[in-house]
Amino acid sequence: MREMIISELSQALHEIAKDFAHFLPRLIVMLILALVGWVIAYLAKVALRSILRLVKFDKLSENAGTSQLLKKAALPSATEILSRFVFWVTWLGFILLGVNALGILGLQQQIAGFFLFLPRLFVAIFIMFFGMLAASFFSRAALLAAVNANMPSPRVLSLAVRSIIIVFVLSVVFEELGLAKETMLVAFGIAFGALMLGLAIAFGIGGKDLARRFLEKRVVRGKEQENEDELSPL
Amino acid sequence: MPLNEDELWYKDAVIYQVHVRTFHDSNGDGFGDFQGLEGKLDYLQELGINTIWLMPFFPSPLRDDGYDIADYNAVHPSYGTLEDFEKFLGSAHDRRIRVLIELVSNHTSDQHPWFQESRSSRENPRRDWYVWSDTDNRYKDARIIFLDTEKSNWAWDPISKSFYWHRFFSHQPDLNYDNPAVREQMWEVMKFWLDRGIDGFRLDAVPYLVEREGTNCENLPETHAVLKELRRKLDENFPGRMLLAEANQWPADLRAYFGNGDEFHMAFHFPLMPRMFMGLKLEDRKPITEILQQTPEIPPSCQWSLFLRNHDELTLEMVTDVERDYMYDSYAENKTMRLNLGIRRRLAPLLSNDRRRIELMNGMLMSLPGTPIIYYGDEIGMGDNITLGDRNGVRTPMQWNGETNGGFSAAPPERLYAPLIQDPVYGYPAVNVLRQKVSEHSLLNWMQRIIKVRGSTRVFGRGSIEFLHPANHRILAYVRRLGGEAVLVVNNLSSSAQAVELDLRSYKGSIPIEMFGKNMFPRVGDLPYLLTMGPYQFYWFRLRRI
Amino acid sequence: MAEESFLTDDFLRQLINVGEVDILVGLPTHNDAKTIGSIVNAIRSGILRGFPRDRAAIINVDGGSRDGTPALVTGVSIDDASPASNLNALRTLHSISTQYASSPESGVAFRSILAAAELLQAKGCMMMSAESANIEPDWLSKLLRPICRDGFDLVTPTYRRHKFEGLLVTNLLYPMIRALYGLRIREPYAPEFGFSGRLGTQFLGQNAWTDGTGATGAELRFNLAAIAGKYRICQSFLGEKIHIERHAADLVPALRQTVGALFSALESDFPVWSVVTGSEPVPTTGAEQEVLLEPVRVNRKRLRDMFSNGVAELESVFQSILSPSTLAELQRIAGVGEEEFYYPVELWVRTVYEFAASYQKSVISRDHIIQSLAPLFRGRVFTFVTENRNASGEMVEKNIEALCMEFERLKPYLLEMWKSRE
Repeated sequence: MREMIISELSQALHEIAKDFAHFLPRLIVMLILALVGWVIAYLAKVALRSILRLVKFDKLSENAGTSQLLKKAALPSATEILSRFVFWVTWLGFILLGVNALGILGLQQQIAGFFLFLPRLFVAIFIMFFGMLAASFFSRAALLAAVNANMPSPRVLSLAVRSIIIVFVLSVVFEELGLAKETMLVAFGIAFGALMLGLAIAFGIGGKDLARRFLEKRVVRGKEQENEDELSPL
Repeated sequence: MPLNEDELWYKDAVIYQVHVRTFHDSNGDGFGDFQGLEGKLDYLQELGINTIWLMPFFPSPLRDDGYDIADYNAVHPSYGTLEDFEKFLGSAHDRRIRVLIELVSNHTSDQHPWFQESRSSRENPRRDWYVWSDTDNRYKDARIIFLDTEKSNWAWDPISKSFYWHRFFSHQPDLNYDNPAVREQMWEVMKFWLDRGIDGFRLDAVPYLVEREGTNCENLPETHAVLKELRRKLDENFPGRMLLAEANQWPADLRAYFGNGDEFHMAFHFPLMPRMFMGLKLEDRKPITEILQQTPEIPPSCQWSLFLRNHDELTLEMVTDVERDYMYDSYAENKTMRLNLGIRRRLAPLLSNDRRRIELMNGMLMSLPGTPIIYYGDEIGMGDNITLGDRNGVRTPMQWNGETNGGFSAAPPERLYAPLIQDPVYGYPAVNVLRQKVSEHSLLNWMQRIIKVRGSTRVFGRGSIEFLHPANHRILAYVRRLGGEAVLVVNNLSSSAQAVELDLRSYKGSIPIEMFGKNMFPRVGDLPYLLTMGPYQFYWFRLRRI
Repeated sequence: MAEESFLTDDFLRQLINVGEVDILVGLPTHNDAKTIGSIVNAIRSGILRGFPRDRAAIINVDGGSRDGTPALVTGVSIDDASPASNLNALRTLHSISTQYASSPESGVAFRSILAAAELLQAKGCMMMSAESANIEPDWLSKLLRPICRDGFDLVTPTYRRHKFEGLLVTNLLYPMIRALYGLRIREPYAPEFGFSGRLGTQFLGQNAWTDGTGATGAELRFNLAAIAGKYRICQSFLGEKIHIERHAADLVPALRQTVGALFSALESDFPVWSVVTGSEPVPTTGAEQEVLLEPVRVNRKRLRDMFSNGVAELESVFQSILSPSTLAELQRIAGVGEEEFYYPVELWVRTVYEFAASYQKSVISRDHIIQSLAPLFRGRVFTFVTENRNASGEMVEKNIEALCMEFERLKPYLLEMWKSRE
């Protein structure tokens, strides 16, 4: 009896050992991949950081207004964040590759899916960033134009412009990521429409006096000129 | 024996202006003479000219280089005898060279017997041959011509105690053309020389023949009447002989001297000449084209006479003050060069001895409408001597070779009528006929060539002129046409290379053939014709339709 | 390397026909048919009277006029093809025209004229403005004689103007250029000025044309280049300045053309202006500059309101540009009532210098920096107008002089900001 148990056990152990022996190289491969991945990711992070510093990415992101956001969230600078993000994604990628090598079926599909998702993620981040940049630029341009044309409520106008652009950018980003496409589309439509309607109503009702005065000024401008001499700055 | 085939021979003439005294001395007395001149006719024939204009050679006290005449019917003894002259004339005609002589009709020398008689007393029969007055207030509106020497047009005669009229030097009293005897006598003088066979007269100072109160005494209708009468007699008795007017007037006033083809055959185009020099200095064709465009049409039998320089100063009477100042500053910085509202220099010194400019100016002379006149010595590029008084600086002896006296005379140098040009640049050792004959590219040979090319067609002497107006104002371009023949002349007045586009649409399809080398240029098409030209270069193109 | 030349074939052909000139007058136009006639006649008279013996050309660069302006300009040429001229002119006078664009771009017009000047080897050149209503023929002599006869390279004009005209020049451009570059050029952005062919060629060869900043404010940078290159500069009094206002005093474009050009030039000219201390006067011919004093009605309330609104609304923008202390000061005076409103000289100078430094560092888009200066300038105008309401010509000059001295005094402040945060 004892010999049977022992032989069964030893056979089972043998099996396990054999399986393990099969598995071990793959595990080693995975570990190696993880290690290599770490090195590459690190190099990538350093390289990207240098490149970004060279093109003064921080300045650009400051223009975009993202720096302020980051500061508020007590996060490190845009260059840092991006470099670290790249580091983690790269390393994660290699780890997943390693896990893939383990040959665990179910996981493989998920991993494949992850890799397919990556490029879209990058594009989305890209769009987001430049969208923020554009929003910042155009909102400021609107602000300045309004101030210099002596229009009322320039900041409101500036904010409106920024909002519109950000909403637009967000919707494009979400579409790119493929997250709840139709929902996002509808949500965007509603938000945008509401915004426009709101502005129209605000202008229409609230600003009707203003609009009238504005038009009066434009049309009857000549009369007002008589009361004021035009001074040339140059 | 006169040459009489073609009545319009003067339209094809190339005239050589020379003073017999300056050309060649055959008897060693220091003065050129007719025998000497005769001996040089071969040279002139080879040069290619076909008409000689002789400056005054009549007896004269020579206070105005022979323009003060003391006897109209003889030859000054320094130059030979009347027989010498006739022999010379015959030799010229043998070589088919015509001869024009000067007739100083407006005035005589105060040494002329006529004046001697006229001034002797108020009752003398020849009293009225000159213009006398008790006061010098008459004809106040007449200008003074020799501004540098004369203060008034009246001179006081101590003998008859009255004033006499003189538009020029005070020793040149004006003849009174209101007197029929004077007019008759003048015709007799002309007849005397015409009978000997001369081919025509240059009438000196014609605008001033008649004076009238209240006028400027120039170009008066009475003067024209006198001239027309002379012409009528000439045509009646000596057809084929020619009258050339010396009238320094604006083109509009000049026109009157042609009448309806019944006054002068030819007249000098005085206003054009300074403008050619001006256009060259400005590097702008505007002065030239403007004056020619303002030049009126003349009767078909008449002809302009063109010249670059002559025995007188380069006159600046017929230009504006701005233009005169510009000419003085450009061409006569040295004030001694200025005389009587003009510049007394020869062609080569005026153009700084620049061969290209000399060629260009001669090219224009030969291609603009009219009969060209070459002043003796300019064909070899002789220089001038401004230290000699009045206008004598441009009347120095002809330079034939590098030997003693430049080959002009065997006399000792002190006896010459004027010293030769001796400076290293223009002096006779450097500038002379002999040297230039043997040198292939000399100015003399070039002049010979251009006269020959010009003579290959009648278009230059007889044709019409149409100016082109290329946008590049440094280019003077025109087309000469006669019958079916057309010649395109393009002149670059600038000292730098130029590109020009010519509108030759009317000549589309012609092939321009450059007349000196006879090479063809690209055919004229629809597009503007592009020419590139070197500094001071000119082209003559025969526009050939084949 | 085959590059697209910006000169059209037709223009080049016309230039070939003009050939070498001694005097060149450049005239940019755009729909100026109403006024151009008297202007080109004055130019032609000026040439015939002042330079009768010189070869001259009028070069019209047109920005797409539809009212026949170019034909009016070329109509004043003098040549033998149109013998209507009884003007006693010695020479041909070319007046040519080319269209450089279908709508006006001042930098391109100026560049075309510089190119023409170089190709025609012009020794003395002049820019004329089609908007100066009272050009006199002798303006040409006044602007060109110093160049042709006395060897100067740049002749800027001085005018008789109203004390409140040209405040951007008197309150910013003149003092700042004077303080930084060390030369007291009264009108560094004038519609007419003379320059030598030498200077024109040198400026034409500079890279600024191709790096995008070229077109705007080229004329101002031209003046700065003359100073930086140590060319000989002088001023000449012309007369009264009557400018035809067609676009109502647009401040922002004016700022772009002048202040924007100045700020961008500061970067490349740093080696020049960083070592200059004090300022030198410029030789001046003709009468002393005069100031007209007739009363004008200025809407001061509007000026102040725009200032205050600007300071309030653009706070976020100013935070990137100005130092905290300066911004605080501005906010303080913005809050004050109209009667007590006062924009002191020192604060104005610091404002301008901080703007210049921020421009150099491109803290935000450079064009936005320039735009945001507009309301602050209006505040400054308010103060200047108020201060000098009853001032005599002398007083006004004194005040401007004081302003200049302040700019000079605070120059180290600018240098410090410039060098920090590099």
